[in-house]
Amino acid sequence: MSLAPRSPESGSERTPRGSPQDKRANDVQDPFPGDRRFSGELQSRLGGGLAFKLALFILTSTAVIYLVAFLYSYVTLRKEILADVKKDALGVTMVTLGKIDNVLGGIEKVAAFLARDLSGEGRTAAVMIRQMEGLLQANPEIFGVAVAFEPRAFDGRSRYYAPYIHRGPEGLKRILIGGAEYDYFTKDWYQIPRELDRSLWSEPYVHEGEGGDLVATFSVPFYRTAAGERGLAGIVRVDVSLDWLQDIVSRLMPQRQGYSFLISRNGVFVTHPRKEFIMRESVFSLADATQDEELRRIGRHMVWAGKDFVPLTGSAFGRDSWMFYAPLPSIGWSIGLVFPEAELFGNIFELNRVILMIGGVGFLVLLIVIVVISGTITRPLRTLTEKAAEIARGNLDVALPEIRSRDEVGELSRSFENMKGALKEYISNLAETTAAKERIESELKIARAIQMSFLPKKFPPFPERREMDIYATLIPAREVGGDLYDFFLLDGDHLFFSIGDVSGKGVPAALFMAVTKTLMKGMADRDLAPSALLEAVNGELCRENETSMFVTIFCGVLDLKSGRLSCTAAGHPAPLLIRAGKDPEPLVIGQGFLLGALEGVTYRTTEIVLAPGDNLLLYTDGVTEAQNGNREFYGEARLRRVAAVHAAGGTASLVDAVVADVRSFAGDAPQYDDITLLSVVYQGADGDSRRRDR
Amino acid sequence: MHPSVKRLRSDPAHRFPLPFYWVLFVAVAVSLLLVATSGFCAQALKTATFLPQWRPQAQFAGFYTAYEKGLYRKYGIDVTVLRGGPDRPAGAALAARQADFVTLFLSEAVQVRDKGVRLINIGQLMQRSGFLLVAKAGSGIAAPRDLQGRKVSLWTSFQVQPLAFFRKYGIAVKPVVQGETVNLFLRGGVDAASAMWYNEYYTILNSGLNEEDLTTFFLDRHGLNFPEDGIYVLEETFRRDRALCDAFVRASLEGWQYAFDRPEEALDIVMAYVRKANVATNRPHQRWMLARMRDLIGPKDPSVPMGVLPRQDFLTVAEELHRAGLTGGVPSYGEFYVFGPAKP
Amino acid sequence: MDVKMRKENGVTVVSPVGRIDTVTAPEFEKVLTGLIGEGETRLVLDLQAVDYISSAGLRCILAAAKMLKPKNGALAFAALQGPVKEVISISGFASLFKIFDTPEEACRQV
Repeated sequence: MSLAPRSPESGSERTPRGSPQDKRANDVQDPFPGDRRFSGELQSRLGGGLAFKLALFILTSTAVIYLVAFLYSYVTLRKEILADVKKDALGVTMVTLGKIDNVLGGIEKVAAFLARDLSGEGRTAAVMIRQMEGLLQANPEIFGVAVAFEPRAFDGRSRYYAPYIHRGPEGLKRILIGGAEYDYFTKDWYQIPRELDRSLWSEPYVHEGEGGDLVATFSVPFYRTAAGERGLAGIVRVDVSLDWLQDIVSRLMPQRQGYSFLISRNGVFVTHPRKEFIMRESVFSLADATQDEELRRIGRHMVWAGKDFVPLTGSAFGRDSWMFYAPLPSIGWSIGLVFPEAELFGNIFELNRVILMIGGVGFLVLLIVIVVISGTITRPLRTLTEKAAEIARGNLDVALPEIRSRDEVGELSRSFENMKGALKEYISNLAETTAAKERIESELKIARAIQMSFLPKKFPPFPERREMDIYATLIPAREVGGDLYDFFLLDGDHLFFSIGDVSGKGVPAALFMAVTKTLMKGMADRDLAPSALLEAVNGELCRENETSMFVTIFCGVLDLKSGRLSCTAAGHPAPLLIRAGKDPEPLVIGQGFLLGALEGVTYRTTEIVLAPGDNLLLYTDGVTEAQNGNREFYGEARLRRVAAVHAAGGTASLVDAVVADVRSFAGDAPQYDDITLLSVVYQGADGDSRRRDR
Repeated sequence: MHPSVKRLRSDPAHRFPLPFYWVLFVAVAVSLLLVATSGFCAQALKTATFLPQWRPQAQFAGFYTAYEKGLYRKYGIDVTVLRGGPDRPAGAALAARQADFVTLFLSEAVQVRDKGVRLINIGQLMQRSGFLLVAKAGSGIAAPRDLQGRKVSLWTSFQVQPLAFFRKYGIAVKPVVQGETVNLFLRGGVDAASAMWYNEYYTILNSGLNEEDLTTFFLDRHGLNFPEDGIYVLEETFRRDRALCDAFVRASLEGWQYAFDRPEEALDIVMAYVRKANVATNRPHQRWMLARMRDLIGPKDPSVPMGVLPRQDFLTVAEELHRAGLTGGVPSYGEFYVFGPAKP
Repeated sequence: MDVKMRKENGVTVVSPVGRIDTVTAPEFEKVLTGLIGEGETRLVLDLQAVDYISSAGLRCILAAAKMLKPKNGALAFAALQGPVKEVISISGFASLFKIFDTPEEACRQV
C-alpha cells in the first residue's frame, strides 16, 4: 500500500518540487526544461485552464446571442426603415405628381380650349394671333404657342401655314414656321398627334431658339369642316419650358438623402443631377453600358407607367441603392427617387457602430469579470492542488489554506481537510495493525519452529536398526499446521508410529497437536494396545475441550522381531499397505471416532503381520484432497499409482515422489491443508529385505 | 493543363525563332525612318477637305480615327474634317466643291451622278445594307405579307429600297413620311418604320422594347442589298491627283481597321466629336453603332479587301433606281467605281 | 457458500451447497448454532450438494451435535455421496450419527 509513509530514501525518487539541488538534477536529465508538471501549470495560467475555458464558452455563447440579437434588430430596423422610406417616398412623390399634373393639366386645358375655339368657322388670322398672345400672357409657364395647319387648310393655297409666338428677351416674338427647310408635317409634335388623331405630349427636346431650353410640347389636333366634310385642320402646339419641372423634381429630395430624376416615355433623362445625362442617356443606355439586365427590366416597367420600390444592384445609379418610381400619368413620363443605402441606413450604421462598441466594451468587461471570478475560484483550487500533491507525496502535515467561503470550493477544501485527517488516522491505524500483524506473524513463525521441533526430523532416525526404515515429511499449509507425525521405539523391539490431523489450523491447532503428541508419547507403552492408548488420550483430550477441536489419528506398534503390527485409527484415512512386489492397497482397519471429540469413545486394534519388504504409507487428507486449478482432488487412486511405482525405491524416495507428484498436480493452486506423509518399511527381524535389496 | 493553353501562356521567346527579332528590329527601324521622313516632308502635305454625310457618330468612326491618329498626315494629306448634318447634304457640297471627299449612300450617289454631278466611288465601305423595316411583334406582323395595308413610315430620300421590297412581295402599304425620330413608331402612329440597324434600331431597343418584341425585315436578306456608305470624289479631282485619292482611301481604311481593332479608343474619339457637335446620343449607342459598322463593312469574303464595290450590288441599286424612275439610266460600273488601293 | 433450509414434520433440513472448508465452515457453523439457538432440536444435514467437507466442517457439525446433546436433540445425515461420504465414514461420524439415503427418509426417522 503506497499510502504507507515512506522512508526518506525511498521518497527521494519522487522529489518534491522546489528543492534546488533536485531542480538541478532535473535540468541535467531533462532536455526540456519545462517538465510536464511545470508546463501543465503554465497551461492552466495562460490557456486551457478554467479561466480560459470559462472565458471561451461564456464569450462564445454571449457573442452568438449578441450577434443574433444584433442581426435581428438590424434586419428589423432595415425593414422598418425601408417601409418608412417607401411610404414617405410614395407620399412625397404623390404630392409632387399632383403639383406637376396640376400645371400640365392646366396647360392641356388651355391648349384644348384653343383647339376647340379654332374649330369654329371664320376665325381670321388676326383673331387667332390675339388669342395666342392672350394665352401666353395668361399662362407664364407656357413658352410658346403655334397653330400649324394642314396643307392648304388655312387659306386653300399655302402648303405651310403655322404662326408661332414665343417668349423672347424683348417680349413676345411672332414668327411663321414651316417651309422646305422646316417641314413641320414630319415633326413629332405635328405628325404623331395627327397620325394618332389625339392630343399628346411630345418627347422632351432642346428648343432650337435662343437659350436652348429643354422643352416639351403638348399638341392638340383641331378640326374644321371643309367641303361639307369635317376633317383635321391642324395642330395646336403649346411649348412648355421644363425648367420648373426640373426644379420641382430636383427639389423633391434633399441633396444629402439621395436624388430624384425624371425620364421621358423613351426612358431618356429629362432631369438628373448629372447634367450630362440629360437628353443624352436613358435608363436603357445606362443598363446597356453597365450590362445591367435588372436595370433594363426596371426601366421597361418605368416607361410602362409602373410603380415600385426596388433595390438597385448595378452601378448605374450608384451601388447599393433603393429606388422608388412612379409615373406622371398625364405626360406618360416617370419619376424616380434614388436612396443610397448609406444614407437610408446611415442611422442604423451609426447605431450599429454604437451597439458594436457597447458590445466590444461589454465583452472586455465580461472578460475581465470572468478572469477575476475564475481567478478567485481557481486560486484556492490551485493552492489546494499543490497541497493535495504534497499530501500525495506523503506529507500529511501540510496546512491546508483556510477557506471560509461557503461555496463548493470551500466545501472541497473542508473535504480535503477531512480527508487529510482520515488519512492520517487510517495510516496510523494501519501502522499499528501492521505492527500487530508482524508481531503475530513472528510469533507464528516461532510457534512453527517449536511445532516442527516436536517432530522427529532426523533421517534415518535409527541407523543402527536394520529391521525397519522410516521416513516422514510434513508440509504445512500455513505457518503452523494441524498435522502431526511421530515415531519412537517403545523398547528394543517395538516401534511406535503415528500420523494425525487436527481440525483447523494455526496456533490452536498446533497447540492441540502438541498436546495430543505429548499425551500419546507419554502414555504409549509396550503393553498398551493402540486402541487403549487412543481411548486414554481421548479421555485426556476431551477433558475441558471447549473448542470442539478434535484430531484424527492413525497409530500403530510394530513388533520388529515378528513383523506383527497392531494399529488403530480415529477418523483417519487408512494407510496404504504396499506388500513387497504387490499393488498398494488401503489397510483394512476398524475406524474409530475422532479423537478428542466425544468422551468414552472406544477404539479397536487391528493386527496384521508384515513380511519383510512390506511398506506402510501413512498420509493425511492434505494429500488426497490436494486440489489443482480445476478444483479436482488428487485422490487416493492417483496416490496408489504413484506409490506403486516408487515403493521399491525406499521410504524417502517414496515420500518425496508422492510430494513431488502432489505438487505437480496442484500446479499454482494454493495449498489448503497440511500435507503429511510417513512411510515405514519392515525389513525383517534381521534386516533381510534390506540385505536382499543389496 | 491543356497543352494548347500551355503553349499560349509560354514565353514568347519560345514561340519564335531568333530571326523573328531581326524582323522586328528591321520593322521598328523602318517605321522610325518613315516617321522621321514624314516629319521632314511636313511642308509637302497636300490639303483636302472631307465631309461625312451626317452628324458626327460612329458611322464615321474610321475617318475620325484616321484623322486623330495622324493617318492622313502619314499618307501625306492635311485633311480638314467638316461637320456633316442634315443642313449640309454631302452630294450638294461635293458638287459645289465645298468638300473634296464625301461619304454617300450608294443609291444617293447614283442619283446625284445621274443629275450631272460627275462623282466617282473610290472606295465602297459598306458591303451590306443596314436598312431594315421594323414592326412590333404584338401588332401581328411576322412576315412581309403582314404589312399589307398597314401604315409604314419611310424616309423620303431612301424609299427606293423599301418600295422595291414591297413590289417584290406585291404589298401595298400606306406610306407615311418618316421624320428624324422613331417616336411616331414608338407611340403607335405607324405599324412599321424604316430603321438603320446601327442607329434607329438601337434607339428603339433603347426606348425599352426588347428584340423579341420586334419583327425585323433586313432588306439585304430579301435580295435587296443596297450597300450604303462609300467614299466619293469628283472625277476631276480624281483625274487631277489620283495619288491624293489613293492616299485618302488608304488612310481612311486604315483608320477603320484601327477603330475596329481598338473600339474603346475609337469610341473616345467619336464621343469627343459628338460632344463638340452637341449631338443627343450616348456611348452605348455609339458602341452599338461601331459594332454594327464592323458587321456591315467587313467583306463577306475574307480574301476581299475592305472598300470593294461588287458589280452585282452596284447593278442591283442602279437598276432599281432606274426602274423607280429616279434615274435616267444605269451608269457604267467601270466609270462609276474606281477603287484606288486595289491597283498599286 | 449457500445454505438452504426447510422444515418438514418439525425437522429442519439444512442443505448447504458447495464446499465446507476452513473458509466457509465458520459461516456454516453460524447457521447451525443459530438454528439450535432458535430452539430447533431435530436437524437433518442434507449433503447432496456438498462437494467437499474438511475437518473444520466436521468440527462445526460436531459442535452442533454437542449443543444438541443437552437438549435431547438429534442430528442425522442424508444423501451423502462421493468424497463427503468417504470423509464421514473415515472420520467415524458414521458410528455416531444416523445416515439416510434421502432427507425425506431422515425426516421420518429422526
